[in-house]
Amino acid sequence: MGATQAYIRGRKLITERPGLVVVSAIAVLLFLDLVRRILTGATLISTVAGYVWNGTVIGLIIGLAGIGLSLTYSILNFANFSHGDYLTVGAFSGWTASYLVAGLGTATIGELFLLNASPRDIGITATAEPLSIVAGLVVAIVMTILIALLIDRLVYEPMRDAGGISLLIASIGVALALRYFVVFVYGTSLRGLTAGDVPKVSPTIVDGTITIDAHEATLVVSAVLLMLGIHVFLQQTKFGKAMRAMSDNKDLARVTGIPTERVIQWTWLLGAGLAGSAGYLIALKRGSMGFNLGWVLLLLIFAAVILGGIGSIYGAMIGGVIIGIVRNLSLVWLPTDFSLAAAFLIMILILLFRPEGIFGGVKTA
Amino acid sequence: MSGSQQGATQGAERTDDLLETRDLDAGYGDLQILDGVDMRVGDEEYVTIVGPNGAGKSTVMKSVFGLTTHMGGTVTFAGEDITALNPEDIIHKGMSYVPQSDNVFDTLTVEENLEMGAYILDSVPEEQLRVIYDRFPILEERKTQKAGTLSGGQQQMLAMGRALMLDPDLLMLDEPSAGLAPDLVDEMFDRIDSINEAGTAILMVEQNAKEALRRCDRGYVLVQGQNRYEDSGDALLNDEEVRQEFLGG
Repeated sequence: MGATQAYIRGRKLITERPGLVVVSAIAVLLFLDLVRRILTGATLISTVAGYVWNGTVIGLIIGLAGIGLSLTYSILNFANFSHGDYLTVGAFSGWTASYLVAGLGTATIGELFLLNASPRDIGITATAEPLSIVAGLVVAIVMTILIALLIDRLVYEPMRDAGGISLLIASIGVALALRYFVVFVYGTSLRGLTAGDVPKVSPTIVDGTITIDAHEATLVVSAVLLMLGIHVFLQQTKFGKAMRAMSDNKDLARVTGIPTERVIQWTWLLGAGLAGSAGYLIALKRGSMGFNLGWVLLLLIFAAVILGGIGSIYGAMIGGVIIGIVRNLSLVWLPTDFSLAAAFLIMILILLFRPEGIFGGVKTA
Repeated sequence: MSGSQQGATQGAERTDDLLETRDLDAGYGDLQILDGVDMRVGDEEYVTIVGPNGAGKSTVMKSVFGLTTHMGGTVTFAGEDITALNPEDIIHKGMSYVPQSDNVFDTLTVEENLEMGAYILDSVPEEQLRVIYDRFPILEERKTQKAGTLSGGQQQMLAMGRALMLDPDLLMLDEPSAGLAPDLVDEMFDRIDSINEAGTAILMVEQNAKEALRRCDRGYVLVQGQNRYEDSGDALLNDEEVRQEFLGG
C-alpha cells in the first residue's frame, strides 16, 4: 500500500515537474561523485572543508550586505542598485581612518588620507594594529550611514511616492555618482591595504589542514555579531517591531501611528551601516581594494537576496552563505573562472522551482 | 413615513458631538468621491453608514482619518478641527480605525500586533491589554502565533483588539463582517455591541445593511458620495423608500 502510494506520488512528480526531478537527480549525482572522489582520494576532505570555510567567509559578507538590500526592498519598495557602492564607500572611508590611526607619524596626513602611503610602511594587520581596525570599522559604518541619509534626503525623499522602477533607475544614477566620486578622490588603481604576517591557525581536518587567518576570524566574528545585533533589534525592540510592521503593511502601519518617515530613515541607517561594515571587512580579508569592490559584489548580493526570498533579512543571511559555499564548492568540479557562474546557476534554479525564494513570504519576521 | 432629508445645518444643532463632518468633499488625487457629506457621531453613539457599492462609504472613514485628498469642508473631533491632519496625528486624538482588509500585520505575532496598536504610547498599557484579552480570549491563547495564520474571524478580532489598545473614544470599523462565515457574523455584531456598551462610540460601514441598522443607534444612507437619508436605525429599516432602494425590499 505504502509502496503503491509512493509510486503514484513519484509518477505525479515526474509528469508534473520533470525539471525538478532532473535537477534533483543531478544534485544527487554530484553528491555521489563527491563521495567517490573522497573515497578514491581524488579530493581531500580537508580541501572540501577549506572550500566550505572560504565560502562561509565570503557568504557572511554577502549576507551582511544583503540585509540592507532586503530591508530597502521591503520598506521602500525598490531594488537599490547603489547598494553595492555603499560597500565601496564603507571600504574607502574605513580604510582611510585605519591608515590615519595606524600610520600617523610614518607618513604625511595627505598620503594617509588618500591611502597613498605604502602598506608596507603602515603595516596594518588585525593583530599588529587592532585599534586601527576597530576605528576603521566604526568609521566605515558611520560614514556610509551619513552618506546614505544624505542621498535619501537629496534623491529618494523627493521621489517617495514614485514607483519602484523610477526609484530603481534613480539608484543606478546614485551608484555611478558614488563610484566615480570615490574614483575622483582615490583614483582607479587597485591598492594593497595590509602588510605583514597575519597570524594563522591550521587545524587538521581528517586528511589535511585548512587555514584560518586572523582577518577571516575578525570578519566572521564581526559579521555574526552584527547579524545577531540586527536580529535582536528587529525582534525585541519596539522600533524594530515597528520596522517589521511597516515592511509587512505600510498602510496599516500608517493608521496605527507608526512614524513611517522615521522607519525609512532607520532602514537606511541599518542597511547602510551593515553595507559599510561589509565593504570594510571584505577589504580586510582580501588585503586590497579598488573602486569596483561593491559594484562587482552587487550581483552576488542580489543573487543571495533573491535566493533567500527578497524582503526577508534571514533569507538574505542564509542566501549569502549558500551563494558563498556553492561558489567555492563548485571548485571541486569547475575551474575558478566558472565559480561565479555556479553561484548564479543556483539562483536561477531556485527562481525556477521556488520563485518566492527559500524564505519567501516570511518577510523580515 | 419617510427618512428625513439631510440638511447641512442639522449637525450644528447638537453640541455634544464627538465627530462631525461638515460639507466634506474628498477623493483620491483628482477624483472626487464625497460631495458635501454631513455626518455626526455623538459620545458613545453607535452609527452605521449603509448604501450601494461605490457610494463612498469607506471613503468617509478614510477621509476622517486623513487618508484621502481633502477637497473642502471640515472634520471636527471632540471640538477640535482635525481637517486634513495626517493619520499619524489623528491617532493621538482618541480615534482608531480598522480598515476593511489587510488589517493585521501578518508576519507579526498576535501579541506584537497588539503592541503596535499602542505604538504611540511610551509603554504597552498592561491594563488595556488585559481588557482586550478578556474581551477576545482567543487572542491570549494565540498570542505567540503569527497573525497571518489566524482564521478570518480571529484576524478581525485582532484588528479590533489592535484598534482598542489606545482605548479610543471613537472606533471606526470598515465592513467588519466582510469575509466572515455566516455563523460568525452574528457573533461579530455582538462583540461590536459590547464594545459600544463599554462606552466607545462606533462608526461602522456595513454591507450587511439590515443587521447593521438593527443594531445601531443611528444610520446614514450614502448614495453617490452624498448622504441621502439619516435616521434611527429602526426608522430607516421601516422606511419604504430606503427598503425598496437600498435594502432589497
